[in-house]
Amino acid sequence: MNIAEILLRLHQNSYYFFAIILFVIGFHTMLTHNNLIKKVIGMNIMDTAIFLFFVSIGYIRGGRAPILEPGADHLYVNPLPSALILTGIVVAVSITAYALSLIVKLYQHYGTIDAEEIIRLRGGETS
Amino acid sequence: MSAAHHLPALAIVVPLVIAYLMPLFDRWRRGWCTPAALAALGFSFAASLVMAWQVMTHGPFSYQMGNWPPPWGIELYIDYLAVFTALTMTGVSLIVLVYGSRDLLHELKPHLLGWYYTLYLLLIASMVGMALTNDIFNLFVFVEICAIAACGIISIKESRECLEAAFKYLVLSALGSGCLLLAIALLYMVTGHLNFTFIAQALPEAMRLYPNNILAALALLLVGMGVKSALFPLHVWLPDAHSSAPSPSSAVLSGLVIKIYAVALLRILYQVFPDSIFEVTPVLTILLVMSSLAIIVGSMFAVVQEDIKKMLAYSSIAQIGYVFLGFSLMEISALTGGILHMFNHAMMKAMLFLAAGAFIYGTGVRRLSDLKGIGLTMPVPAAAFTIGALAMVGIPLTNGFISKWFLVLGALRGGQTFFAVVILISSLLNGFYYLPIIVNAYFGEPQGAVAEPKRLPRLMQAPLVILGFGCLLFGIFPSLIIGLASRAGQALLGM
Repeated sequence: MNIAEILLRLHQNSYYFFAIILFVIGFHTMLTHNNLIKKVIGMNIMDTAIFLFFVSIGYIRGGRAPILEPGADHLYVNPLPSALILTGIVVAVSITAYALSLIVKLYQHYGTIDAEEIIRLRGGETS
Repeated sequence: MSAAHHLPALAIVVPLVIAYLMPLFDRWRRGWCTPAALAALGFSFAASLVMAWQVMTHGPFSYQMGNWPPPWGIELYIDYLAVFTALTMTGVSLIVLVYGSRDLLHELKPHLLGWYYTLYLLLIASMVGMALTNDIFNLFVFVEICAIAACGIISIKESRECLEAAFKYLVLSALGSGCLLLAIALLYMVTGHLNFTFIAQALPEAMRLYPNNILAALALLLVGMGVKSALFPLHVWLPDAHSSAPSPSSAVLSGLVIKIYAVALLRILYQVFPDSIFEVTPVLTILLVMSSLAIIVGSMFAVVQEDIKKMLAYSSIAQIGYVFLGFSLMEISALTGGILHMFNHAMMKAMLFLAAGAFIYGTGVRRLSDLKGIGLTMPVPAAAFTIGALAMVGIPLTNGFISKWFLVLGALRGGQTFFAVVILISSLLNGFYYLPIIVNAYFGEPQGAVAEPKRLPRLMQAPLVILGFGCLLFGIFPSLIIGLASRAGQALLGM
C-alpha cells in the first residue's frame, strides 16, 4: 500500500479517524491531568468522540434526513445511531452536571481543585 | 393481557416510578417515604420470585416492551441467570433497606432521607434492568443510571472523604461507560443490530469479514466492565468509595453493584460473542490471570488494613476475583460456583458491612484493634460478623463453603489445579485477617466506647439476623439455590 492509497483511505474514513484521535485525547486528558475541571473536559471530549463515531456509522455520503415524502425516492441516512446518541448526550450532560457539582463541593471542603493537592491534604489529615 | 404478563417490565418500572415520587413524599408526608420505598422493593422482589417460578416451570421466556417485536423494540429476556440475578439484587437490597431506614437517620441529614431513597431505588431498578434486558443499548442506559446512582449514594453524606471517593468513582466509571459505548458502536457497525440474540446470529459472519472490529469491541468491553466491577488492576476506586460511603450504601455497592457488571460481561461473552472468539483471543486466560491476581492481591491488601470498612472493601476485590474465576474457567461446576458465589457473597458482604455499620453506630469505633470485646457488649452484630467472617473463609455449614467447593471442583475437573491452589491460599489469607477480629471480639477486654455502646434499634438487628440465618440456611441446604445456578450455567455453556 503506497502513501496515496493510505491517504485516500484516511480521507474516506476521516470521521472514524478523527473520532479515534479525539477519543485518545479525551482519555489522556481525563487520566493524566490533576485539575479536576480538566478531567471533566477530557471526559466530555471522550464522550463527544464516541458520539461522532456512533453517528458517522449511520451516515451515508449524500444521504438526507429520513423524512419520508410520498412519491419521492431519496437516499436516506440511518436514523437509529442518531436517535441512540440523543440518549448518550443526555447521559453525558447529566454526568457532567453531577461531576461539576461534586467539584464545587470539593472546592468548599478543600479550597483547591487540584487532585494532587487534595490527596496531600487528606494525607496530612490521617497521619 | 393480564398484569401478570407484564411482570418483567413492572419489576423495573415500579421502583423507577416510586423513586421519582420520593422527593414528593418527602415534602408532603415524610413518614410515607420508608414504607413506600420498602413496598417498591418488596414488589420487585415478589415479581422476581414469580418470574423465577415461571422460568423453573415453563422455561425461559421473553417480553417485548410496548409490544414492539425485536429487532425494533427492546426485548427483556427472562432466563435462569436473569431471574437468579434479579432475585439476588432485589432480595438483598430489600433487607439492606430495612436496616438503612434506621441507620441513615444518624448518618445523613434528615432532609436527605427521601433523596437517598430516590437514588437507592434507581440503583436497584437499574440493576434489575441490567439483569433482564436483552438489548445492548438498553443495557448501556441501565449501566449509566446505575453509575450515577451508585456515585450518588456515596456522595450524599457530603463529607470530605465521600466527595473525593465519589469523584474518583465517577471519573473511572464514566471512562468505563465510554469504553462500553464505543464497544456497542463497533458491534453495531458490523452487525446492524442491538438485540443480543440478533447480534449473536450476525457475529459469526461478521467475524470472518471484520475480525479487527470485533476484537477491539471485546477489548473495550473487557476494560469497561472491568473498571466498573473493580477487577484487579482496575480496582483503584473501590476501597475509598466503599469504605467512606454510609454503611447501607457500602453493603449494596460491595454486595451487589460490582457483581451486576460481571453478570453483564458474562452474558455478552457467552451469549453474544461466537465461541470462535475464545480460540482467536486468549480472553479467558486474561480473565483467569486477572482474577487470580485479584484474589491474592486483594486478600493481601486486606490483611494490612486498620479500618474495618476498608478491610471489607479490599476483601470485596478478592471476592469479585472468585466470581470472575468461576466465569472464565469454561467448566460447568466452576461456572455454577461463580454464579452461586455472586449470591452468597452478596449476602455475606452485605451482612459484614451492616455489622460494621452497627459497630460504628453503637460505638463510633472504626479501628479494628479498638474493637476488642465487642462480642460481649454488642452480641447480635458480633454474631452476624462472626458468621459472615466464617463464610468468607469458607468453613463448612456456611454458604461460602458451598461456592468455594464448586469453584475448586471446577478448577480440578478442568485440569487447572493451579487455580484450586489459588483459592486455597486465599482462603488461608481470609482466615488470617478475619479470625483475629473474631478472637479479639470475644476474648478482648472492652474499653472506652466499646464497653458501653448505644443500644441497637430492632430494625437494625432484624436484617443482621435474617442475613446470618440466610448464610447458614444456604450453607446447610444449598440445594435450594444450586438448581437455579447450575441451570443458569448450563444455559450459558449451551448444554
